[in-house]
Amino acid sequence: MVKYLARRLFLMGITVIGMVTVVFFLIRLIPGDPAEYMLGDYATKENLAALRAELGLNLPIYKQYLRFTQRAFTGDLGNSVVTGQPAMDEVIESLPWSAALALGGIVIAIIIGVPLGVISAVRQGSWTDLSVMLIALAGISFPVFWVGLVGILIFAHEIPLFPALGATSSGNVLRQLHHLALPALVLGSSVAAYIARLTRSAMLEVLSQEYVRVARAMGIPESRVVYRLALRNALIPVLAVIGVTFAWSLGSAILVEAVFSRPGLGSMILKAIFARDYQLVQAGVMVLSLAVVLINTSLDIVYGLVDPRVRAG
Amino acid sequence: MQLLQFFRVGKITATNIASAIFVILAASSFVVQLAQADDDTLRVRIGSDVGVLDPARIFGIENQTVAGHVYNGLVKYDQATNKVVPDLATEWSVAADGKSYTFKLRSGVKWHKGYGQLTADDVKFSLDRVLDPKTKSRYAGQLAGVKGVEAIDKLTVKIMLEKPNAGLLNKLTAFNQGWIVSRKAVTKIGDKKYQMNPIGTGPFVFEKWRPGNEVSVVANKDYFGGAPKISGVVFKLIKDETAAAIALENGEIDIFFALQQPVIIDRLRKSKKVTVLDRAANHTINLVMNMTKKPLGNLKVRQAIAYGINRDGLINGYFKGTKAMGHSVLTSSFPEFSEDVPQYPYNPEKAKKLLKAANVGDFTLELVTVGLSPYDQLIVPVANDLNKIGIKTKITVLERGAYLQARTKGDIMTCLTGVVGPPDPDSPLVTLYATKSYPPGLNTSRYKKADDLLAKAASEQNSAKRTDIYRQILKQTMADVPVLPLYADQLFIAHSNEVKGFVQNSLFTMQSYSVSLNR
Repeated sequence: MVKYLARRLFLMGITVIGMVTVVFFLIRLIPGDPAEYMLGDYATKENLAALRAELGLNLPIYKQYLRFTQRAFTGDLGNSVVTGQPAMDEVIESLPWSAALALGGIVIAIIIGVPLGVISAVRQGSWTDLSVMLIALAGISFPVFWVGLVGILIFAHEIPLFPALGATSSGNVLRQLHHLALPALVLGSSVAAYIARLTRSAMLEVLSQEYVRVARAMGIPESRVVYRLALRNALIPVLAVIGVTFAWSLGSAILVEAVFSRPGLGSMILKAIFARDYQLVQAGVMVLSLAVVLINTSLDIVYGLVDPRVRAG
Repeated sequence: MQLLQFFRVGKITATNIASAIFVILAASSFVVQLAQADDDTLRVRIGSDVGVLDPARIFGIENQTVAGHVYNGLVKYDQATNKVVPDLATEWSVAADGKSYTFKLRSGVKWHKGYGQLTADDVKFSLDRVLDPKTKSRYAGQLAGVKGVEAIDKLTVKIMLEKPNAGLLNKLTAFNQGWIVSRKAVTKIGDKKYQMNPIGTGPFVFEKWRPGNEVSVVANKDYFGGAPKISGVVFKLIKDETAAAIALENGEIDIFFALQQPVIIDRLRKSKKVTVLDRAANHTINLVMNMTKKPLGNLKVRQAIAYGINRDGLINGYFKGTKAMGHSVLTSSFPEFSEDVPQYPYNPEKAKKLLKAANVGDFTLELVTVGLSPYDQLIVPVANDLNKIGIKTKITVLERGAYLQARTKGDIMTCLTGVVGPPDPDSPLVTLYATKSYPPGLNTSRYKKADDLLAKAASEQNSAKRTDIYRQILKQTMADVPVLPLYADQLFIAHSNEVKGFVQNSLFTMQSYSVSLNR
């Protein structure tokens, strides 16, 4: 187990370093110059040159990379080019917003997705199955920002149940949840569609197995067969997908964040990319990839605990 | 198990429906309570996040709006009339030779957060700081020609010029480089940290910035003009205009700043709970033609382009009448505005004739702009109009960073550029027509013939004569058309009817000092 753990953690480190390196070079490939962005229409040649020197933009790119990695290892990810504040501060400020949205979304997705998947599997081929799968297909096909806008129009405008804004600075937890509800519902419903489809196919597979038939033949009540015997086994692949979608929704939440005017890592990174705020992009991507890798690694470790076959592989 | 039963049975019964309705009703009454405003804090929508509140480096209308609440200048533009009126300085005099200005400061003005009292030394510090190359201020050029600043006594400050500059007061208004900072505060807080920890003398004290979410200021009880009538302002970041409109109608915000989309303007005008204000802005959107690129060096070709674009159609069609005709790069909000300039009413026949007379043969005009609304959209009807008079066009829409780079490099044929600034005639004229404004800068047409007149205007102390010179520049530049104003912008702001006493300015910012709330 220790060996397995060590290997997972090692891979995790490599992945994060790889991600940050790719981002470091990619963002510098986009045409555009942070100094120009900062100094704008009235910039003079001298000011541009001085700012580039200060930001280290006049150095060859490999030297910039060395400088960046040296500092990164000491925990210094630099200052935002635009605001002059430590890049990490802004990242830390946006992280809880993203985490709350992703978590809320996933919880709602599980609450909606798993029962729907079970129902349509149990009633395979029926109208219920067909309509659930159609809804799920729609959930996957409709872009989440469109669902978000429609959600605002219906639930914030026509029937004003929720605020149109997905964020509040109020310290009141109820208020915060109230603002979170609609964005989480929108994100959750798109993820729920995946989970429903996956639960359905996993359930179908399990339900056709010998032991289920035996259980039924033994006269065990159907609800017990479905929920105790089948669902438990079907949930293992579903759990894997939930792990992946959690990571995915951290990133994809950016569209939801944009529609609901909600702060978060996604919209912060987007803003930084437009401003060519290299330091901020790097810090944001580093934390985001760290979060994704952490979640997946901990899931891997959990599997390892549950299923010895994974540990051996 | 219960769950299973629920889904299994799943019958729609009267009881089910009744309980669902009950839940919804209970939830909505709860929700109404939650959505109520806490107190008399004004909530304003901004469309982009803030990030730079240091006057030497500030840019963007959101930053400028917040800074306008925190800082004062020596003088300021009156919100309603755009006249230069006293702010921190109560009076000023110009030396007979026009080469120095002396300002008397208001006494007893306190800096926010206990940074002491305003002195002439703070004014010296502020201006010196912008001029110091080490600051890398984007506005150093605005104060070019300032030889030195001297604090004569605690409340008297003298600004010395290399040569007379009649436009100096415009540069010292409470905007960008004109905002006064405290020496003690900047030194103590440090340059970098100061960017998001501004200390001013204004009606509101900076409180907190929550990145990606909101920025708040609270009323300055010690403000020299008297404390504001509201307890503070929260600027909420809401990018999407539809969401902002709903938030305004729902009472989640009080003021919708930077309202732009014609559809949303239409919609809010119909709402009974909301007032929509509009005003001519100091802002034009222009087609800048690079005269070093063939055949744009030919005057007839530029005139043909001017006659060939249906600007009225653009204003009344695409913009639903929410913009005004651009007669020149000075809009009607400038005192120097004049309609007595060469006009280019839509005339495709005349355009074709001019093209024929120019005899430049076939060419493709590359229309370059930034991938931001409205530029990336209005470029299409412009291209369409030009095709109709026989000019082939190629549309290039670039992401902002790439666009700025291409513009500075200067080998693009045209660009669609907005010019926005204070109601200072030099602001658009120098920026677009002075040779010193390229490279880097906005004179990508490489126009060279305005320098003498601009210098003459700067040295003319008589304000009527000075206005005449500016009007001469307008006539000349519209005859040469290196830059074709496509339209003059209108500013729209909507506010709920609970907001009283709001005055809209033409600066593309907003000020809450005069506002009271009637909740």
